[in-house]
Amino acid sequence: MDLDFSKEQVEFREQVRTWLEENAPREIRPEMGPAMREYDLGWQRTQWEGGWAGISWPQEYGGRGLSLLQQLIWFEEYGRAGLPGIDACFVGLSHAGPTLMTRSTEEQKAYHLPRILRGEVIWCQGFSEPDAGSDLAALRTRARIEGDELVVSGQKIWTSFATLADWQELLVRTDPEGSRHHGISWVICDMHTPGIEVRGIETIEGGAEFCEVFYDDVRIPLENVVGGLNNGWSVAMSTLSFERGTAFTANQVRLASTVEKLIDLAKERTGPDGRRPAIADDEIARRLATARAEVASLRAMTYAGISRNMHRDQPGPEGSMVKLFYSDIAKKVYRLAFDLLGADALRFVSRWEPGGWSGNYLYSYSVSIGGGTSEVQRNIIGDRVLGLPR
Amino acid sequence: MDLLPTPGQMEIASLAADFFGNELPISVIRERRDAPVVVDRRVWSESAELGLFGLGIAEELGGAGCELAEETLLFREMGRRLVPGPYLPTVLGARVAALAGQHETASAILSGKATVGLALRRGPDGFEAATTPSTLDGRFQLLDAADSRYLLLLDPAGAALVETAALTDVRSEPAIDPGIRLAEARAEAVPIIAWVSTQEEPIRLRALVLTAAMSVGIAEATRDLSTEHAKVRVQFGRPIGVNQAIKHACADMAVRAEAALSQVLFAAICVQDGRADAEFQALAAKSVAGRFAVENASATIQVHGGMGYTFEHDSHLFLKRAHVLEHLLGEPADHLARLVAQPAAQ
Repeated sequence: MDLDFSKEQVEFREQVRTWLEENAPREIRPEMGPAMREYDLGWQRTQWEGGWAGISWPQEYGGRGLSLLQQLIWFEEYGRAGLPGIDACFVGLSHAGPTLMTRSTEEQKAYHLPRILRGEVIWCQGFSEPDAGSDLAALRTRARIEGDELVVSGQKIWTSFATLADWQELLVRTDPEGSRHHGISWVICDMHTPGIEVRGIETIEGGAEFCEVFYDDVRIPLENVVGGLNNGWSVAMSTLSFERGTAFTANQVRLASTVEKLIDLAKERTGPDGRRPAIADDEIARRLATARAEVASLRAMTYAGISRNMHRDQPGPEGSMVKLFYSDIAKKVYRLAFDLLGADALRFVSRWEPGGWSGNYLYSYSVSIGGGTSEVQRNIIGDRVLGLPR
Repeated sequence: MDLLPTPGQMEIASLAADFFGNELPISVIRERRDAPVVVDRRVWSESAELGLFGLGIAEELGGAGCELAEETLLFREMGRRLVPGPYLPTVLGARVAALAGQHETASAILSGKATVGLALRRGPDGFEAATTPSTLDGRFQLLDAADSRYLLLLDPAGAALVETAALTDVRSEPAIDPGIRLAEARAEAVPIIAWVSTQEEPIRLRALVLTAAMSVGIAEATRDLSTEHAKVRVQFGRPIGVNQAIKHACADMAVRAEAALSQVLFAAICVQDGRADAEFQALAAKSVAGRFAVENASATIQVHGGMGYTFEHDSHLFLKRAHVLEHLLGEPADHLARLVAQPAAQ
């Protein structure tokens, strides 16, 4: 039991901090469209050029191959620097890339992985469908085989950044006779292929990254199937397991600094009695203190998880506990921010602008839905952590 | 950085756990609910022989020379097993006596000859910071002091030991938790026989961490009780744990137990290392673990249905102890007020 970082790790932290200070983008991230694409890819390119791309990727695929603790340090400093998430590059770096590494052919790796790392392409995810959300195995988007091509018809939904994406990790049903989990294939789909139509979905916070994607006889080379025809379910499961590692740390650090900002705000703003600062209000002070305590334990939980993962090869299902706890705290924190502002909260400020509390409050409703709803996380914890009967 | 206990640390905890499992099973609380003290002399002496009271005290002061980390794991086991008796004030009282140079007192406590009860001040905390008080005055709630020679008082300014016999108007009271003994008493110019100021050593932070560690044990034990019940209790032809209403309640308990455990281990290291944010982390640990223990224990009563409402079942004992721990060493609202006034964490 210790919280000590070695001399090398402390120096590494300094190095990360200095590099981020000198190289991170200072402009506010554009909210949508090609400008946002350019911003995210530009930042990824900067990281590549600085030697910081793919910090958790193995070196053989061009990544930094950092140890777990170095990754932790990187993400802590990244979050502390107040930088935006990797957003549009997320699927490529944390989802599709790692899946390609474990399941694709050497040609596929050689073609796609460097492009992801260098910030040349954006990947999106094509998993969920209108009738296959938490129940992913119910997906119905069909792909029939014609010669050396797949012909895809159907619809995907909740696809972030589909309007800007070059590639998609796409799950299709290649064997309609197979059982739910068999007969699904994981396919690399070129988003510029004829027959693909993308429509934006406006979210409750006015965001425009969300999309639905329609496929009308979209022809994809059969060789784009990863991990073998009809094996898509196992490939998809290996994708999801990359989602809950150290990368989550940056979100937590961001949440912790949000709580600190709220405490400062509560000292500056007049409270509900119209006279004293908000922090003098017992209820507000207690909610702020509770947020501090919970964010602290979220961090400790992450440290415990990383410590556990240092002693084994594969991350366990405990990641779901961090995700669930984070979602719960984030919603409470942004609700608290909203309450702190009083009637000023009614003025909409997008989450990308300074003081964007109302935008962030609305956005917080997505954290317990995206990446597996909190209910699904509870099922995973019940089944796989506690061993409860299904 | 490695937050997990080492195998050596786990071994100490598991030795203690075996001892408590054999000598102080939870049923003792029910069997001795009307006895003046819950832990008898023999078990107390054996605890002393095992070295439980001086685990975290330096060897040159008569202890085992381990750190707060090991003590934290020990108290977590006590929470899990609902160990009754004045272990917390005795462990901390021995420390106060040893650090204050009261070696006879320290060795009487460490050898099990003298026990230490806990005195909780009625009303605001009493001592001026950076003073060395010589006497104790005021009204106090006493915990597990029935058979004790000394009382420990933890004040933000420091920790004090007094002789129990010096207090007046001692009146025992029925306790919500049959595993503790409660009394009310008054002190008038009671001599302080050992004093360790917070500047010398933050014993109160240590106490916060150890109390929180017991709460963690309760949060874990109730998670396990509920999960086990959800696996074996069959209704409508299936174990009740297949239902999300029960499964999700258990999952929430797992998250609370994990969060509380992680934060308590984190805080233990911060206090042990004297980190600048030690108080922040200890208050966060006390706050989170105290609340989560109560929440897990109350959910456990619900998961057990009618059985959970009976005296015979253990659920209510966990709930009651969780409440006792939540109110030790200052009220939860007081801890939150202190926490929000701290500088940001490191």
